[in-house]
Amino acid sequence: MLAKFVLRRALAAIPVVVGVTVITFFLMHSTAGSYVPGLALNPNLTAKDVALLRSQLGLDQPLWIQYLDWTGVAWVVQHLGLGSLLVGANEATPGLLQGSFGQSMVDGTSVSSQLFDRLPNTILLTVTAILIGIAVSIPLGVIGAMRRGTRVDNALTTVSVAGVAVPQFWLGLICILFFSVRLHDWGLPFLPSSGLQTPFTGGALLDRLAHLIMPAAVLSFVYLAIWSRFTRSSMLEVLSQDYVRTARAKGMGERRVTYFHALRNAVIPLVTLVGLELPGLVSGGLVVEAVFGWPGIGLLAYQRALAYDYTMVLGIVTFASILVVAGNLLADVLYASFDPRIRLA
Amino acid sequence: MIDQLAVDELQRVGTTSAGVTGRRSRSYLGESWERLRENRIGMLAGYVILFLAIVAILAPVFSQFVTHVQPDRQDLDSQFLPPGVHHWLGADETGRDTLTRLIWGARVSLGVGFLTVTMQIIVGGGVGLVAGFFSGWVDNVLMRIVDMVLAIPAIFLFILMAILFTPNTVTLSLIIASVGWGGVARLVRGEVLSVRSRDFMLATRSLGAGNVRLILRHLLPNVLPVMIVAASLGVGAIILAEAALDFLGFGIHPPTPSWGNMLSNAQTYFAHSTWLVVFPGIMIFVTVLAANLFGNAIRDAFDPRLR
Repeated sequence: MLAKFVLRRALAAIPVVVGVTVITFFLMHSTAGSYVPGLALNPNLTAKDVALLRSQLGLDQPLWIQYLDWTGVAWVVQHLGLGSLLVGANEATPGLLQGSFGQSMVDGTSVSSQLFDRLPNTILLTVTAILIGIAVSIPLGVIGAMRRGTRVDNALTTVSVAGVAVPQFWLGLICILFFSVRLHDWGLPFLPSSGLQTPFTGGALLDRLAHLIMPAAVLSFVYLAIWSRFTRSSMLEVLSQDYVRTARAKGMGERRVTYFHALRNAVIPLVTLVGLELPGLVSGGLVVEAVFGWPGIGLLAYQRALAYDYTMVLGIVTFASILVVAGNLLADVLYASFDPRIRLA
Repeated sequence: MIDQLAVDELQRVGTTSAGVTGRRSRSYLGESWERLRENRIGMLAGYVILFLAIVAILAPVFSQFVTHVQPDRQDLDSQFLPPGVHHWLGADETGRDTLTRLIWGARVSLGVGFLTVTMQIIVGGGVGLVAGFFSGWVDNVLMRIVDMVLAIPAIFLFILMAILFTPNTVTLSLIIASVGWGGVARLVRGEVLSVRSRDFMLATRSLGAGNVRLILRHLLPNVLPVMIVAASLGVGAIILAEAALDFLGFGIHPPTPSWGNMLSNAQTYFAHSTWLVVFPGIMIFVTVLAANLFGNAIRDAFDPRLR
């Protein structure tokens, strides 16, 4: 039953992935056309050189052949000995199907190698942010629920409503202003304002932690605001269930009822909510990465977009989108294995 | 006893608004409006938005009569002047008045906010109505397209398109709406599916109503509350996204002032001129907060699923 569900979902995801590659590819090409960054600025290149370069990069071929080449379909077709189907196509290079996301138009580096260089940094940042979010929001939510209607609860509600309205990049700037600039001015210990570690001398665990804490905290702020509200309402709902009353009727202590019986069931829906963030692991931190100069995938995409390196941006966007589809699939499957009713839908 | 009740009910249904029961019959939207007006925080937030909108529209008037400078007027004598008598909220690196620029920046934020929401409600609502009403392959195709659009991380899609268009208020709205319509379409489709199966739809169809009439006259009014709620809850997120794009340099470019690009500019100087980074952020925060609170109030008043 579960296997059938997984198979059905996986098959449904394929057209979505194909559609995503079509959208991003054609969007990117209508954006950039056949523009090669820097070409027009180089006085040593004649029109003939430019045409040669364009031809080497495959930019003179029809768009649909470029698409098939980029996705790796052309490679498969040619290796099956059916190359004559692709009229006028050059020798195809491995594409998405072969796990290659293309090359940078600016420096010729492979997109995949750049991605995998940066991926650990991005995952470190987002996972830390999610962990901070969980570690802080669950206690806050429980406190809000236990002291429902009191001043503490109202204050928590206000903070969480306000938290969703704070622009992440502004919060980042304010944090840098206080924790890096002002503390430094006052001669107090301060946090580094950007990067993964101190250049040249850094790299020790403590140094890396000091660089990680501020971006991760800023990134976790939105999660905090949403998840603590969610835990609170989920907790309130569970506390009114019959089995909680039964537990109390049996003479169980309030503390034990709260933490063992109620909380465990209250956080189950939160798992789904946290799971919804998984697809955003790679893209969610772009703004924060840009503010803190955190060398992750978001910063890479941002810098390359500013430099009009559109094959690189295309590769990153496609990679991130495939992760989103895979993440959604994973969340569906996990949820279905927890809750058998979902499989029937 | 039961019979008497049934008779009363029949009489009440049979009479007009000046009926025997004395209860004025009101439309759903009218009733919701009454509920909204009782929500004090929500109404306050609504007035804040209204005030900001008026300020934005009247920006030239404020420039002329209140701050006495234009947003791009440079004044090298007041470089980095802290907030004070001359410049109430300080001045930036070329002596431009922060308050004036904030007022003009409100045009961008609110303009994009409202324009985007309008676009995504019209497109998303239309797609949702059609997909839900016709179901079958139409529904399948449209919803798979929605899946694709929503699978591409929004910020990347924004950046891709920001390179394609020269960003101004209208193109930025188009860019943000081209992602936002997907969520609205899903929401409206879900609501349509539940309304569609009700008896009155079958009755109307059996009276000979065509598809267009069914959708526009019977389905649309029933999903309108959901669309209103989606619209009002969407504005805050849109304003945040727009500010982030401006900040990253993919949105409104200087010298046109926007809260996002003012913050981007302030990054260079904020160590010594704190006000440059504080005030635009506060404007974004207050606007988004008011939009969210007003959106929540609208949801509480209008959402039929909360009944």
